Amino acid sequence: MKGYRRYFVGKFLWFCITLVAAFILNFTLPRLMPGDPVAAIVSRLAQGMSNTTGVQAIYEQYAELFGTNRPMLEQFVLYLRNVAQGNFGFSFSQYPRTVADVLRASLWWTIILQFPAIIVGWIVGNTLGAMAAYRKGGFDKVLMPISIFMSSLPAFGMAVVLLVLFGVTLKWLPTSGGYGFDLIPNLSGRFIWSMFVHYQLPFWSIVLVTIGGQAIGMRSMAIYELNADYVRYSRFMGIKDRKIVGYVFRNAVLPQITGLALAIGTMVSGALVAEIIFSYPGLGTTLLTAIRGQDYPLISATTLIITIMVLVANFAIEILYGFLDPRIKAAQAD
Amino acid sequence: MRHLTRQVFNSGKFVVGFSIFVGILLIVIIYPILFPYPPLEIIGQGNFFPPGLYVNVYDSIFTSHYILNLDDATANRIASKLDSEDRLAIQKWLTASGFPESEIDIENTAQLLDQWTNNFDPTKRFPGMTNADRNYFIRLNNSLKGLLSTEGAIIAVENPETASLEEAGVVAQNDYIVVNEVPNVRLLPLGTDNFGRDVLTELVAATKVSLIIGFVAGSIATLIGLILGLLSGYIGGQVDDVIMFFTNLLTVIPSFVLLILISFSIGQEQRGAFTIAVVIGLTSWVWTTRAVRSQVISLRNRDHVNLSKLSGHSISYIIIADILPYIASYVVMALILQISSAILAEAGLSILGLGPRTTEVATLGLMLNWALIYQAPILGYWWAFYPVIIVIALIAFSLNLMNTGLDQVFNPALRE
Amino acid sequence: MSDAILEVRELTTKYITRFQEDVYAVDHVSLKVEEGKSLGIAGESGCGKSTLALSLMGYYFPPLHYTSGEIIIDGQNISGMKPDDVRKSILGKEIAYIPQAAMNALNPTQKVIDFIEHVIEAHNPSATKNEIYDLAKRLFEALGLPAEVLQKYPVELSGGMKQRTVIAISVLLSPLVLIADEPSSALDVTSQKMVIKMLRNLMDKGYIKAMIFITHELPLLYNVTDDIMVMYAGQVVEMASAEKAVFDPLHPYSKGLMGSIIVPEEGLRDVKLTAIPGVPPNLKKPPSGCRFAARCKYVQAECTATSIPLRDIGNGRAYRCIFSEAELREKYDREARNNG
Repeated sequence: MKGYRRYFVGKFLWFCITLVAAFILNFTLPRLMPGDPVAAIVSRLAQGMSNTTGVQAIYEQYAELFGTNRPMLEQFVLYLRNVAQGNFGFSFSQYPRTVADVLRASLWWTIILQFPAIIVGWIVGNTLGAMAAYRKGGFDKVLMPISIFMSSLPAFGMAVVLLVLFGVTLKWLPTSGGYGFDLIPNLSGRFIWSMFVHYQLPFWSIVLVTIGGQAIGMRSMAIYELNADYVRYSRFMGIKDRKIVGYVFRNAVLPQITGLALAIGTMVSGALVAEIIFSYPGLGTTLLTAIRGQDYPLISATTLIITIMVLVANFAIEILYGFLDPRIKAAQAD
Repeated sequence: MRHLTRQVFNSGKFVVGFSIFVGILLIVIIYPILFPYPPLEIIGQGNFFPPGLYVNVYDSIFTSHYILNLDDATANRIASKLDSEDRLAIQKWLTASGFPESEIDIENTAQLLDQWTNNFDPTKRFPGMTNADRNYFIRLNNSLKGLLSTEGAIIAVENPETASLEEAGVVAQNDYIVVNEVPNVRLLPLGTDNFGRDVLTELVAATKVSLIIGFVAGSIATLIGLILGLLSGYIGGQVDDVIMFFTNLLTVIPSFVLLILISFSIGQEQRGAFTIAVVIGLTSWVWTTRAVRSQVISLRNRDHVNLSKLSGHSISYIIIADILPYIASYVVMALILQISSAILAEAGLSILGLGPRTTEVATLGLMLNWALIYQAPILGYWWAFYPVIIVIALIAFSLNLMNTGLDQVFNPALRE
Repeated sequence: MSDAILEVRELTTKYITRFQEDVYAVDHVSLKVEEGKSLGIAGESGCGKSTLALSLMGYYFPPLHYTSGEIIIDGQNISGMKPDDVRKSILGKEIAYIPQAAMNALNPTQKVIDFIEHVIEAHNPSATKNEIYDLAKRLFEALGLPAEVLQKYPVELSGGMKQRTVIAISVLLSPLVLIADEPSSALDVTSQKMVIKMLRNLMDKGYIKAMIFITHELPLLYNVTDDIMVMYAGQVVEMASAEKAVFDPLHPYSKGLMGSIIVPEEGLRDVKLTAIPGVPPNLKKPPSGCRFAARCKYVQAECTATSIPLRDIGNGRAYRCIFSEAELREKYDREARNNG
């Protein structure tokens, strides 16, 4: 257990460092660009909104909130304090809603959509990849090109294909939104059913794309492990094939978990774009409306939330990995 | 080297991927030579014209007419106006008015129309029939009336003096023209987009721009990744620590988020295709750095490298002569993957509205973006988005296939 | 019934490539190992010696396939047995194996004791964990390995320690025959010595009754085994006592092999440097007649005409060549004189 604690502390420190780095990047990147951000925002505001009192209120709020005329360092401290308090200011495009309010609504939609989809895609993809490596032959020959093709299709492409096929042509499933437009979110059976139906297309587009990539990765890892020397030795010591397959897949799945930790950012990014195709009320669609509305505070906060979400997921996978790979405890014990 | 090339081309996966990719490249090069239309020219007034051969109506009236007496002409004319929904509606009306259902055959157009004209009465109402239904039937009846006429259409010209119409000619129902004789004909194999641009021409131009973006971004990312990976792997120590710190950092912080922040900050006016390519390249080098570094570390203490060190060769010589040749295959594979992911990144950015400026160039992402803004998928304008998605998928698929093929050649364990 | 622990008669096995070609890597090989004796098998890489080791286990998985011949262990013919019966009652119990790359022979994510449990459960499902632990501990201590090794993961063990652990696991069920396939080739000299010592110890203490040792390093064979068999292109080309095979080889290939590898006496350095020119034949289409003919200095037209039988000259000696013993000795003497 001592070894694991060490691993955990190490990973936690790294998590904190990445978090700080994410804050710094999120703060500095927009400010590094040439031009005066205040002037740019004012000009965008003037063309973006008709409500002049609203413009004035947001402008004052913005100037105070971000302290744009103070030194950089002071601005950063101010930014950190605001973030810590969950205060991201008003949304330009959805005034008078606050950014925090807008994000609170969409964050949960994204979480309930993406994480189950990525996990299901990961599990199914790895199972198929393992089967392809073990069974070889026809199964492998059919599955591999399909997997390569599916993983080549970007999530938004898969989303459009599913949308047209099941939503427009077959009319089995609704094409946009998170629930029926005539409903108000509540816990009634009708609302939950509507949510479930609207969930299907975005969910499966993410799942299908994830399956392809994972199956290819798992197949390579499993083939590599199947040719490992311990497989041959275990066979010649009389151990049953089924048990050896167990060793192989356990060992092959471990790098797939690390791979997931590293790739989760890319997967989430892809899935965010897929959300847009379905106008799913998650962070992806929020980001799109923010960009269309030139809503700087909302963009900044959304990207920050996405980054934090990815970092937390990455940290969680690493922690889980520590439990699953016995070598972690052993290697760090002494 | 020749042996290696032969081995690579023996890999079925590589060959398939390579052929698709070369095919796409050839189309991108040859198409503009054969059809030098300006890709962003707006030719259609209105949006999403369906794919097909567009024949100028004015010209066809005034080219020679040929009379062909074809038996099925009338039937075809009627059939094209009378879709299956209308047929079902007629059947519904007839059965509701008490017409025996067994005598109705909705496939038999002539009989169906006969039954309809003999029985339809706009004043009739049935239980459950709404006003909208009734109006629909009246409209249907009116549109069918014209179909059954055997008269030709009169072409009238306005007399400038009397301002009255004078008959200039008659187009009979059995008049034909030869398409070749019509001076103005334009084939739009993929119709037009929301702006009224020729989708195929635009698609070819967009593919070219997207490939360039992929290549520029991929090269930048590979170059940065190669340099950092070499430094980090070969020199080691603190250089390695610093480089790996940033590499690991950017591995977990999603590069797409950085792309969004940078692209937004650059502003719409400054975003050209090239700028986007550079930004994508600058945010996606981490994977190459990791791959190159691990390869270099495994090479660093090989005999031939040690021998070179003992012979007093400089670091740059050792890297160029003793390390680069051994990691070349990995670098090529990394470049291939970078190109494909850069093309996807551009598409993703464009869908978010952060792609290159629309007015200058077309990219695959921008085409998709506009198709989505105009809701082409939901309205069924497949030609505006399916070809784009197919091209994106084909490019990525061919590059991935080539990569898998190379991987199997260079890592024999993966061969079956 | 003879007193041979292991007897192999005319064993032939083949690989089937992905292009459905047959490659006979073990071609009509016969051998016999008596109780208390050890046999060394030598040859260049790719001569079929490792395939022979795999084939001797009587347990085949693709691409290796059994073709014909008999494997008799302690009077029991295992070549006709069902694979699952071989697995249950022969592997590890009657015949055990130490793989070529013992460094990676243990599953990296499993404690040594867990693997031992699986091995014993595969043959004796009723054994309890405590019994297994006691057995393993006693064996490890008897072989000079600390009992803590049992609770470790392979990554925590040094190379030599891993190698010795694998050897200990291989003899866990007191097999009659132990087949060691180049067990020491990846180790440093000190570890090599330790491994060899351990293997000899196994025979002396009665953990195993007979041993087959496969290597390309002949000095090792001379020190460890009683008899030596030389293989070339899937066939046995010479069979002799270790002493005779190393210092008085008859077949030109054995002669070349010994000359090219053995650490030479003073004055024989030149011989040492003459590695055998050429490469072994492609076994997809083995040449007719003598398979070594293409690389042999003494080759004549008759060599490639018909297949050459293994010539038994008594005292457990046999070789596969058209020349008689006297003719060969004369050729070797003349050559030694010419080399001065």
